[in-house]
Amino acid sequence: MPVYYEWKSLKIQKSIKLTHKSPRFEVSNHPLKANIMTMRESSSVSFMDHLNKWSAGFEEIDPLLKFERMELEEDFQPGSVGKVDDFVTYSKAWSMKRTKILNKYTTGEKLTIVSSFLPGGEKALIRQVSNLNEKVKNRLEQLDDFDEDSVRKTMGLSQQEFVIKINMLNDEIRKAWDSEQRVKAFKICIQCSKMLCDVNVMQFYPSKFILITDILDTFGNLVFQRLKEKSFGNIDIKNAFDVDPKQVPEVAKETCQNWMFKMASIRELLPRLYMELALLKCYIFISKEDVKPALARLTTMIRGIGIPLVSVYLRLYLCHVASKLLGNDSESYFNDNLKEFLDEYHQIFHPMMRKKYETQLLTLDKYLSLYTPAVDWLLYGTLNNTKKCNDTLLAKLLERCSEIENNELLLCCMLNEFDSASIIQNASTILEIIQSSAENMVMLNDTLYSLGEHLCTADNYRLVASEALIQTWWKITNNLKSTVSFLQVLEPWLHFACTHLSTQHVNIILRGTIRYMIKCDKYPDEHYGHFQSVVKRMLKAIPDVEELFLMDAFMPLLELVHTSNARTLLAKTVLSIFFSRYNGVAIEDHIVISSLMRLCCTLHDSINAVTVEDEIKLCSDLINRFVQVISYQNDLEEQLNFYVDCRSSFIKLDAVLVTLVHCVNALAARATGVKSKWLQRACVAYCFITVPSLRCTLAKAHLYLLSGQVALLNNCIGQAEANFKALIGLIPDIPEFIMEDGQKKPTNVKVSGILSDFLSTLLILPDNLDSNCKAYILSGLIKTMDRIHWKKTDSLYYTTMLQILDLLCAMTQENYAYNIDAVLSNDKLYGCDVDFIEYIEKYATSICQDLLVVLKTLGDNKETKKQYNLALELFWRVIRRGDLQERLMFSLAANLWMLSQKLQDSNNKIAKAIMTVLQQDSRPISQQLLKKLEEGVKN
Amino acid sequence: MSVNLTIQLKRASKVYHEGETIAGVVVIDSNSDVRHEGLTLTMEGCVNLQLNTKNVGILDAFSSNIKPLNLINTCIELVPPGKIPTGITEIPFEMPLRARQAVSPGYPGLLETYHGVFVNIMYILKCSMKRSFLNKPLNVTCQFFVQYQQQEPPPLKPVRCEITPSTIRASSSGSSRASMPHFQIYAEIDTTVCPLDKPITGKIRVDECSVPIKSIELQLVRVETCTVLFSRDATEIQNIQIGEGDVCRSRDIPLYMVLPRLFTCPTTTTVNFKIEFELNIAVIFEDDYLVTENFPILLLRSR
Repeated sequence: MPVYYEWKSLKIQKSIKLTHKSPRFEVSNHPLKANIMTMRESSSVSFMDHLNKWSAGFEEIDPLLKFERMELEEDFQPGSVGKVDDFVTYSKAWSMKRTKILNKYTTGEKLTIVSSFLPGGEKALIRQVSNLNEKVKNRLEQLDDFDEDSVRKTMGLSQQEFVIKINMLNDEIRKAWDSEQRVKAFKICIQCSKMLCDVNVMQFYPSKFILITDILDTFGNLVFQRLKEKSFGNIDIKNAFDVDPKQVPEVAKETCQNWMFKMASIRELLPRLYMELALLKCYIFISKEDVKPALARLTTMIRGIGIPLVSVYLRLYLCHVASKLLGNDSESYFNDNLKEFLDEYHQIFHPMMRKKYETQLLTLDKYLSLYTPAVDWLLYGTLNNTKKCNDTLLAKLLERCSEIENNELLLCCMLNEFDSASIIQNASTILEIIQSSAENMVMLNDTLYSLGEHLCTADNYRLVASEALIQTWWKITNNLKSTVSFLQVLEPWLHFACTHLSTQHVNIILRGTIRYMIKCDKYPDEHYGHFQSVVKRMLKAIPDVEELFLMDAFMPLLELVHTSNARTLLAKTVLSIFFSRYNGVAIEDHIVISSLMRLCCTLHDSINAVTVEDEIKLCSDLINRFVQVISYQNDLEEQLNFYVDCRSSFIKLDAVLVTLVHCVNALAARATGVKSKWLQRACVAYCFITVPSLRCTLAKAHLYLLSGQVALLNNCIGQAEANFKALIGLIPDIPEFIMEDGQKKPTNVKVSGILSDFLSTLLILPDNLDSNCKAYILSGLIKTMDRIHWKKTDSLYYTTMLQILDLLCAMTQENYAYNIDAVLSNDKLYGCDVDFIEYIEKYATSICQDLLVVLKTLGDNKETKKQYNLALELFWRVIRRGDLQERLMFSLAANLWMLSQKLQDSNNKIAKAIMTVLQQDSRPISQQLLKKLEEGVKN
Repeated sequence: MSVNLTIQLKRASKVYHEGETIAGVVVIDSNSDVRHEGLTLTMEGCVNLQLNTKNVGILDAFSSNIKPLNLINTCIELVPPGKIPTGITEIPFEMPLRARQAVSPGYPGLLETYHGVFVNIMYILKCSMKRSFLNKPLNVTCQFFVQYQQQEPPPLKPVRCEITPSTIRASSSGSSRASMPHFQIYAEIDTTVCPLDKPITGKIRVDECSVPIKSIELQLVRVETCTVLFSRDATEIQNIQIGEGDVCRSRDIPLYMVLPRLFTCPTTTTVNFKIEFELNIAVIFEDDYLVTENFPILLLRSR
């Protein structure tokens, strides 16, 4: 069997060629155009999703701050709880309130628990407030010592331990109750409620209140359940008011009465009140009519509590109990208690209280914030049903506010609880009140913040007074002493200004902000979190996000931040919000462009050797977005200049460089006409220079190819050749695997894709006539093929070889299958020169030879399937592209078919298809071959 | 063999008025047949007068307990001698609660149940099972409470008073304190004639006070007089706090006290003893300095 087959390509006659011509028809628009539009739309969404994937970790600098923010957001939900007339509403609102209090009011101070029912702890001599004479008292104390349940005091408990102890007491109550020691349960309860007298660690008081009232609720329920069982057995009673006292048996009534007498004889006021409230619903068993007068009486009795913090929380509990029991009927008790609270309002600022909180190192605002949950709740309940007279109530309260001193607590709580609509209506009045007492208001920032938040919810119409409001607000805010509060207040008000006022106004505020920040001589770095949220809020609020950059104060505002770290974060925030909100197609304004450029530069400059990969990705994405969105419309030169600037600015980011190359290529493709010849060259040069600085070889290869193609398109043959040469030189260097998203990925498929793309381009690439070599680039590629790390038996290798064979055959044609109008391809260049054809066929012969070698190797390696496929593929090439008139080609075809038949049945789909084509071929030589093949098979 | 004897009254509250019938059952729970010599039920009511320990030294000659004053003593036979079968046996009974007819001098009639320090008025039902010669009789007692019939509500008798340094009597303030703080306190009790079933109400208002207040308290005191022993003792029944801490000035703080059962009864005067009640309002200042105001009150069984 002769080993050497000389390849002869079939010259397709023109007439035949015509039949293969693809159908052409006129189209009205570009088939890909619509796709591009949808791409844009979806990209803006996916872009952010994409960003969010890794940005979450970088958005906030401080997780604690984030937590705080979250809470603030939660806090601000005026009337967000659906005000449905139901018990459920109250209990839901209460449980929300409960968790909020527990989360908010915590302490690191040491706590003290006094109880006789907990193990451990030193024996304490509790000095009871009594007018017993000293001698009797001492004797009693001595007696107490022998008593099994002597009072023990455990000191120095951390908050955690305290909570555990309280829970232990809670369990103890149940245990005692279940073991028939009901009086013991009662005593534990009394001791617990006594703890609420103690305001020693004030900042924990609200949480302590919640913990202890839970215990009281437990106890109240236990008593109620027992009385219910005594009266009606195990019937499920949802509402306490379903109990009919007339049907309650005498025994249960007697038991209930006993509890009441026991409760009424508790010596101390506070435990007595708490216990009566806990047992309040048991009055139902005696008489329904007793409940309401009892609540009214308790409301007034609370006046006896001298410590305002204790009394307001007691009122809170009263209202809680009332709302649980009476639902919406409880509203009047809320109202009454609110009134009582207001009448005692000045007590909060009593010098004695001041002494107390000052010794605990609390500031006035911290101290006042302890009251807010309680006052909020009172207001909440009052407002829940009085919707109709909300306005009058607000007016009344505001009047009250303007009358009393230290109105901030009330004002703040009002702003927390009233709905936005009424607040907005009275905004100017409220602001006036604030202004008049702004100087010594400690909760000023909270108040202004809440007011601002209310205003932000206003509908998007222009409030008549918004200008005046902002002016007054600025007067107050500008005098704020603490920068943190300034920034905190600024946030919602800036939002308000953005949505309700013109850009000029916003700009004036921004200028004022800059002045303020400079004046206080503190860079916002310390308050970076607040500063960032101000900027964020503004970016989110402003109707047209592009307008921000047109304000002359915006960029200087951003520059206020000094440390590079904070600047980077800020730039990142601004850019990501900007791009997520920006929905235009192209940015043309120079001011915006330069501002964005500046931000992008900040972002880029922050990247260094230790920057993590995700961070780099994020930055690259943002900058890419920037690069893509900038447009100088028809000023192509300016556009290119911009890209040049970008390259120098973002040199560290490969992803950006890739985008730039793409952009420049697009620009080069856009630049048509003779005048822009130089621009095209400049573009190609740009790409050619830019690509080598990339790190990833694969990306480089791809870009070389693309740039070469664009150069070719623009008839810059030399540049195209240079690109292709570079590409060929690069191919062996492409590593077998690259890291992508932290995973090792093989490059084979991509490389073969690039190569086949490259090969189809090579068809139209004219030869460099200066060199002696014909098909210069192609020959370079063929030589390089050996140096690629692929194994010879790898299907990628021989497929590429087959493709080269295809190309070589195509190159021998008289007219190439396709061409670029301006470019003279080799068909025109050589005009079927015999030398050229010969040269090409020599290559084809050698490649065919190589393939035969591969075929043999495959056979040796017993890779039958691959061998079969290759044989068929080659057979196909021979019969389609080879000149079968040549004896050698004819026998090669026959041999290949034999080989394939030997390896596998001809029932294979591809083999069948090939045979069908061969049968339909009208050429005599084909028929001849067919005959021979059939004979061969028979043999 | 174990026998369990209990008395169960029909009325859960165990409160009866004169003229009513006390109804209930005696429950005998036994795990074997019980032979007995008769089951009797006795109703007893008596006043116990006790000596104040302070006076013991002086009046050593007397026994520490004066002979109880008998108010009622009736006895009925529930079951004649015989045998009670195994298991739970319930023997119903009814006894009228009526004062003695033949009145001896000084007999006060049926008084309300009262538990005091020196005077105790108690009513018990005693069930006794006499058994054979060798066995001790089985006894079980059960207390019940006697209350007067409800009277028509009396007219209100409100009292008002102002407490200022000048109104303080020298005796109560003592001379220990050189300079008294300046204060002006107004107190009011809605009525000094108080129905026992209703709370004592009123209000107190601290108009001015130059020192912080620690506590405001309301003290219920009984005054027990024993004419025979020439003793008169005031002791505290209960003391409840009305104000805690330095209360808000110029605000009415309600006074509210539920009268405890058993430890109170209508104000009683008999030949041998007297039970009276008083109310003290005490204002305690930060330094434990105490100002009190005393109000005698009349307790009544009325609506």
